[in-house]
Amino acid sequence: MGRDAHARAILGDELCSQLANTRVLLVGAGGIGCELLKTLLLTGFGHITLLDLDTIDLSNLNRQFLFRKKDVKQSKALVAAEAAGPFNPACKIEPIHADIFEPRFDLAWFSGFDIVLNALDNLGARLHVNKMCISANIPLVESGTAGYMGQVQPIVKDRSECFACMPKETPKTFPVCTIRSTPSTPIHCIVWAKSYLFGKLFGESEDDEAEFAEALKNGENPNEIAELRVEAAAFTKIRSSLNSPKAPALVFDKIYNADIKRLLGMEDMWKSRTQPVPLEYTAIRSGTFVIPERKKPGTQKAMNVVVNGHSNGKKAVNGSGTADSAGGLKDRKALSLEDNVELFASSVQRLAKRQAATSQPLSFDKDDDDALDFVTATANLRAICYGIQTKTRWEVKEMAGNIIPAIATTNAMISGLIVLQALHLLKKSYDRMRSVYVRTKPTAPLGVSTMAPPNPYCAVCRDVYVPFPCNPEIAVLGDVLRAIGIAKAEDEDDDNDEEMNGAEEGKVMREAYVYEGNRLLFEPEMGENAKKTLAYMGVTWGKSLTIMDYDGKVVNLVLVLLPLPPDHGADAKPFVMPSTLPTLPARPPPSAPSAPPTPAKPTLKRSAPEDDELIDDTRAIKRIRTEGGAVKAPAEKETTIREENGVLILDDDEEDNVIELD
Amino acid sequence: MARSHVDEAALYDRQIRLWGFDAQTRMRNATVLVLRLRGTACEVIKNIVLAGIGTLKILDDAEVTELDLGAGFFYREEDVGKKRVDAAIPRISALNPLVNIVSLSSPLDLSDDSLHALFLNIDLVCATDYDRPTLEKLDEACRKQGKQFYAGGTLGSYGYAFCDLGEHSYVSQDKTKPNAPQIRKTFKYASLSTALKASWSHLSKRDTKELNPEVVFSILAVWEYSARHGVMPNSYDTVHELQAIANELLGAAQVNKLVLKAMPEKHVELLATTAPYEISPVCAVLGGFLAQDMLKAIGGREAPMANLFTFDGMGGGGTVCRLGMKGAV
Repeated sequence: MGRDAHARAILGDELCSQLANTRVLLVGAGGIGCELLKTLLLTGFGHITLLDLDTIDLSNLNRQFLFRKKDVKQSKALVAAEAAGPFNPACKIEPIHADIFEPRFDLAWFSGFDIVLNALDNLGARLHVNKMCISANIPLVESGTAGYMGQVQPIVKDRSECFACMPKETPKTFPVCTIRSTPSTPIHCIVWAKSYLFGKLFGESEDDEAEFAEALKNGENPNEIAELRVEAAAFTKIRSSLNSPKAPALVFDKIYNADIKRLLGMEDMWKSRTQPVPLEYTAIRSGTFVIPERKKPGTQKAMNVVVNGHSNGKKAVNGSGTADSAGGLKDRKALSLEDNVELFASSVQRLAKRQAATSQPLSFDKDDDDALDFVTATANLRAICYGIQTKTRWEVKEMAGNIIPAIATTNAMISGLIVLQALHLLKKSYDRMRSVYVRTKPTAPLGVSTMAPPNPYCAVCRDVYVPFPCNPEIAVLGDVLRAIGIAKAEDEDDDNDEEMNGAEEGKVMREAYVYEGNRLLFEPEMGENAKKTLAYMGVTWGKSLTIMDYDGKVVNLVLVLLPLPPDHGADAKPFVMPSTLPTLPARPPPSAPSAPPTPAKPTLKRSAPEDDELIDDTRAIKRIRTEGGAVKAPAEKETTIREENGVLILDDDEEDNVIELD
Repeated sequence: MARSHVDEAALYDRQIRLWGFDAQTRMRNATVLVLRLRGTACEVIKNIVLAGIGTLKILDDAEVTELDLGAGFFYREEDVGKKRVDAAIPRISALNPLVNIVSLSSPLDLSDDSLHALFLNIDLVCATDYDRPTLEKLDEACRKQGKQFYAGGTLGSYGYAFCDLGEHSYVSQDKTKPNAPQIRKTFKYASLSTALKASWSHLSKRDTKELNPEVVFSILAVWEYSARHGVMPNSYDTVHELQAIANELLGAAQVNKLVLKAMPEKHVELLATTAPYEISPVCAVLGGFLAQDMLKAIGGREAPMANLFTFDGMGGGGTVCRLGMKGAV
C-alpha cells in the first residue's frame, strides 16, 4: 500500500495514473497558490509548473504556510517549490520567478499544459491567462478569495462562460470637484491626500490641464475648475521651498487656510453644503486654536459642528470608534487635531529630506511609514476642515492601500475545490463542472451553480484563434491580409501588386479592421500600414492581430504570432498560413433584448481605462496593465441549490502590491 | 512586550482587518485540543496555528504509515514508523513560533475521569475522524466541563463537521454596509445525540431541498453502519444495508417525502467503497471549514455554524443543517 492507495481507492486507478502524467500550470504562489500546490502534490499530480512574479512579505505569513520569516523578500515561486517538494518527491515542480505577461509565455508555451489553474490576485493577469487558455483551448480553473469569501470557476472553451464573458466591476472613481473641493466622506479626504497632495508635493510634477479640460467636457462646474487652476499654480512655488524649516507651516497655510478660504469665497458652492473651516497652524501649535462654528447650508445661522462627540476638535476625533480595543498600538490610536498637525509637520520634513537626498520623485506606498504618516495626517486635517470623521493610521492604511483581508482557511477550502473541479475537467466529465462559492450563507456555506453557456457577445471566447508562425521583421501586413482574404485599402498604392503573393484574381475579398490589442492598425479607408512590417508596428511574437469584419457579420479572427519552425526555408514566405482557415461563425445580431451589457464593438473591451477626467480611487494594478476590481458572481442558472446573487468576489490576497495608479 | 505586539500586528495584519484585535486576542489566549492526526486534522492544525491560537495540544497514539503520506503533509517518507505526533510536531511548530505546541501519544481513554483530566485547561476540543459513539461520548464530556466541542472528518470524497458550543455569544457586523452596528447574539447549541434525534418535519419543501438531505443522510448512514458493525463500510456488498439504514433514518427524521422519498444509490454506493479513505482536496475543504468555524467560536466574532455541516466533494456543495436547536437565526 503506497502513499497513493487512498487516492486510488477514491479516484480510481485510471485517473490516478493520468494525474501522474498531467502537466499543470499553476499561476500564482501566494495565498491560494501555496495551498493549491500542497493539494496538487498530495493528490498525485506529476508535473507542476509554478509561476509567480512576487517576493515574500511578512504579512503573507499568516496564511502562505510554505513561507517562513527567513524567506521574506525571496521569490515566492522558488521558496514554495522548495518547501512543498517533500510533500510528494515523485512530483516534478518547475518554479518560474517571472511575469506571466512576458512574451515567452506564448500560445505554444501554454499549449504544453493539460490544465491551467489560476491563483492570481489581479484582474489584468486573470484576464490574460483566460485569454491564453481560450486561444490555446486549454481548460482553466479560475479562482479568487477575499476574507471569508471565495470562488472557483472551471472554464472550458465553448462549454462554459469564460472569465471575460461577464463584465467585471470597474474601479470606483470620484469626480474631480468632490476630491479637490467638496469632500463629504473619509475616503474623499484620503484619495485627495494620497492621489493629489502627495504627488503635488513629492511626486512627479505634472500638468493638470488635461484633467481640467476633461472635467469641463464632463460638465463639471467651470468656476470650480478655474479655482483649481489657481491652486495648482501655487504648488509650483511651494515645492521649491520644501526643504526650508518653514515648509510645514507654508504647506499647511496654503492647503488648510488659503485654499479653504478661497473656496469659501465661491458662495454658489456652499448653497447646499456645509462650509469647511480654515485651520491655523500657529494657533494650533500654540494650543489656542478653536474650531470655528460652521455655517449650515442655505442659512446664515451658525451651527455647532460636533466631530465625534467633541465640539472643539481639541479632543480625539477618532474615526470609526469601534468597540474593538486598540491593542495598545499607536496605529490604532485616535489622533487629536494637535496629533495630526505634529504628524503632518514631521512627515513633511521627513519626505522632503528624502526627496532632497535622492532628487527622485516619490510615489505613495502604504508600507512606506513616512508616506502613510503624511497621508494619515493630511487626510485627517482635511476631514477636520470639512467636519468629516477622521480615521486612525491603521484605517487609513487599509483605505489608501486597498488592503483586502485574507485568511488561510478560505484559501485552503478554495484550493480543495479547485482540485476537485480540475479532476472533473481532466476526466472530461464536463456535466459535473460547477462554479463553487465559499460564502457566509448560514445554511449553504458552499454554494454551487451549473455552468452558464458562453456569452455570444464575448470579445474573448467567441473569437477564432489561429496560431500564426511568422517572422515579424519581414512579414508585411498587406501580404498577411491578402493571404487571409482581406481586401486592400482603397487608397493603397497598386505599385507592388504584381510582387505580392496571394492576391489571386477573382478571389472574393472582405473588408476588415485590424487591431493589435486596442490599437487600430488598419481599416479600409486608412491603409498606409499595409506596406509596413509587423515588427515596425510593434506586432511581435506573443502578440496577436485581431481581424474584425468591417460589416460585423462574422466573429473576429485572431492571428497569434509565433516563431517560425526551425526548418522554415530562409527564402520562403515570412509566415505560415494554415492550408485552410477556419470558417468564422456568424456574429449574433447586436442588442438582443436579453443580451448582457457588452460593448458594441468588441475591441472596446480591450481599451485602456478612460478615466482621465476622474480620480481613480480604488485599485490599480501593480503591473499597471489594466484595471483591477471586484468580480461579480454570475447570475443564478439552474442551481442545484438556491444561489445567492451578487456574491462579491475580489481578487486574491496579493494585496501587498496593489498600489494606486493615478 | 510592546515590540512583540507590533510584530504580531504586522504578522496578523490581514486577518486582524477581518476579525479585529479583540478576536485575535481571544485566539491568542485560547488552548485547543485536537484529537487524532489524520489528513483533516493536519489541515485544521495548519490553519489554527497560522491564525495564532495560544496553545495547541495534540493527542494521537498511532504511528506514521505510508498511507498517511497521501493527505498528511506534516509527514515525510522517512517518518514511516515514527509516532505521528513526533513526526508532525517540529513541522507544526515551524508554521508559527508564537504558538505553544504540546503533544500526547497515549491512546484516547474514554473513561469519565480520564476525559475530565484531558479537558482541564482546554477551551475547545476538536475530534477528527472518530466513529459516532466516540464523538457522542466526547461531546458529553465537553458539555459537562463547559468546553466548546467540534467534530469533523472525511469519508472518501465526502466530509462532515459538527459543533456543540453550549451557550455561545458572538458579535457580528454587516461589513457590506457602512457604519453598520455591531450586534451581539446568543445561541444554545444541542448535544450530538440530541441533534441526531432531531426531526426535519417542520422544514418546508424548499428548505429541505436546499439542505441536500441525500448527502446528509448518506453520511449519517455510514455513521450508523460503523456504530453497528464496529468498522466502516468497505465494499459494494454494503450498499444495500447502507441504503436500508439511510431509509430508516429518513423515516425517523420525517424528512419531507416530496423532496426525498427513498435514498437513491448514487451517494451510498460511492460511500460504501470509499468511506475509510481520505484525499487531500476534501481534507483541505473540511479542514478549512472546521478551522474557520473554530476560530469564529474562539474569537467570539461572527456566527459559527449551527450545527451539522456536510460536504459532497464530487458535487462541490456544502450545507449546514440546524439540528435540535431551538430558536431561529
